[in-house]
Amino acid sequence: MSVLEVNALRKSFGEVEVLKNIDFTLEKGEVIAIIGSSGSGKTTLLRCLNFLEKPNGGTISVNGNVIFDGNAPETQSEAEIRLKRLHFGLVFQSFNLFPQYTALQNVKLARELLAQERSDWKQNRKAILAEIDAEARHLLDQMGLAAKADFYPHQLSGGQQQRVAIARALALSPDILCFDEPTSALDPELTGEVLRVIKGLADKDTTMIIVTHEMQFAREVADKVLFMDGGHIVESGPPEEVFGNPKHERTKHFLERYSGT
Amino acid sequence: MLATVLGALSSGFLQTLKLFAITLIGSLPLGLIISFGSMSRWAPFARLGNRLEAAGGESKFTHFCEWFKPISLLVKVIVWIVRGTPLMLQLIIIFYIPGQLLPGGSPWPAGDNGRFIAAAVAFIFNYACYFSEIYRGGIQGVPVGQQEAGQVLGMTKRQIFFKVTLLQMIKRIVPPMSNEIITLVKDTSIARIISFQEIIWAGYSFLKGSHGYSGLIWPLFFTGVYYLVFNGLLTLLFGWVERRLSYFR
Ligand SMILES: Nc1ncnc2c1ncn2[C@@H]1O[C@H](COP(=O)(O)OP(=O)(O)OP(=O)(O)O)[C@@H](O)[C@H]1O
Ligand SMILES: [Mg+2]
Repeated sequence: MSVLEVNALRKSFGEVEVLKNIDFTLEKGEVIAIIGSSGSGKTTLLRCLNFLEKPNGGTISVNGNVIFDGNAPETQSEAEIRLKRLHFGLVFQSFNLFPQYTALQNVKLARELLAQERSDWKQNRKAILAEIDAEARHLLDQMGLAAKADFYPHQLSGGQQQRVAIARALALSPDILCFDEPTSALDPELTGEVLRVIKGLADKDTTMIIVTHEMQFAREVADKVLFMDGGHIVESGPPEEVFGNPKHERTKHFLERYSGT
Repeated sequence: MLATVLGALSSGFLQTLKLFAITLIGSLPLGLIISFGSMSRWAPFARLGNRLEAAGGESKFTHFCEWFKPISLLVKVIVWIVRGTPLMLQLIIIFYIPGQLLPGGSPWPAGDNGRFIAAAVAFIFNYACYFSEIYRGGIQGVPVGQQEAGQVLGMTKRQIFFKVTLLQMIKRIVPPMSNEIITLVKDTSIARIISFQEIIWAGYSFLKGSHGYSGLIWPLFFTGVYYLVFNGLLTLLFGWVERRLSYFR
């Protein structure tokens, strides 16, 4: 059973159809890289998966359970959505760390708030908080940021901020971690450290969807590459095929343009 | 003579402070309510518009249906009027007009008490409108990405407001708010127009004659000292708050 199954997903903004019949599946431990030119709908797709946009039709299933069905309004109530979101994590292009919290607090905040809903919160408060703290520190350590735990976002470089954001997303142990161009807001010399961290996650079989313009990286890290154009998935397959032997004209065209620059 | 002047000025300044305090107490929360009103997205005909659009395409009327947000519109017009006319005029209207129109005469109690209440009403409403714009700027100035990051992390709307956006809003609001509050200190002197006996009124009385003196100009300059000292203290206070919030950006 696939971790994620997206069927006939559609999304329009007013008259403009931005996603047209998106179908794909993602297996546990797999990494999908999504490539495509600007405006092809990559961000919109990730935002739909994370319920930041409401699709106009289609279904999204996680672990065999339909979590969104365009034809069934009962899958779309506010409170339900909040919990369904937790299947996904999202790392934004612009990090969106909370500026008033330290790196460590950024990583812990959501988990602490969720923990308050646990039935044993009152009795085990101390132990739960200690556990969250330990895990958050461990995550930061994994990101190479153990020494930066008490720094505020504005005291960190872009690359460090993005790694904190990755730790923050991982803290909730999502089934699927999504990245929207995680390095495109970074200075070139800082992209490496973030890509290395993501590569490390891939090696540990983290299930991920990565929207990226870093073709070399996509090739190395992805099990499957989706090429999007004009709201469609034009081509998908293993990276050797999509990059080495693209079948569609539009894919060839796109890749030529990218290897050119 | 000095003791008499200082005594009169001090009791005038007490009135100034009273008006200042009541204005803040009333307009800070009222301004927040007004800012929510101006940001209201309630559009009673939006559904009708959507349906007509689905059936027969867009038209001027369907655009109107989506545009028409009565609460936001009404509040924005009121704020525009209040900010676009002098506080002095509003004060005169609020103090005198109800007495002309209402069958029972002026709703304000007679004497100093009535003047204070009328001044408080005018000042609270006027300043609430200014504050509402500052709040709106503060609320809308927090990047949407902050809210989205909270949503993606499974936080409720309430949690996002209190744990993520509120402090960022406050940080944005403090500098314009401190300007406006210092302006308020000085604006209280406008209440003199309805004979509210604040500090300038007290100083001026020595010029035109009272307490057995007349033609004294220097008590008026003394009033300036009161304003300077008080605004100096406020500036220190706001500076302290800003520094307390400077640990993040
Ligand atoms: N909130 C919105 N309202 C209206 N149109 C939108 C909105 N968000 C995105 N669009 C449009 O949808 C299309 C797809 O946008 P999207 O951001 O998904 O593209 P993208 O593939 O992520 O591009 P990029 O590589 O530049 O990030 C674009 O034409 C964009 O203008
Ligand atoms: Mg994008």
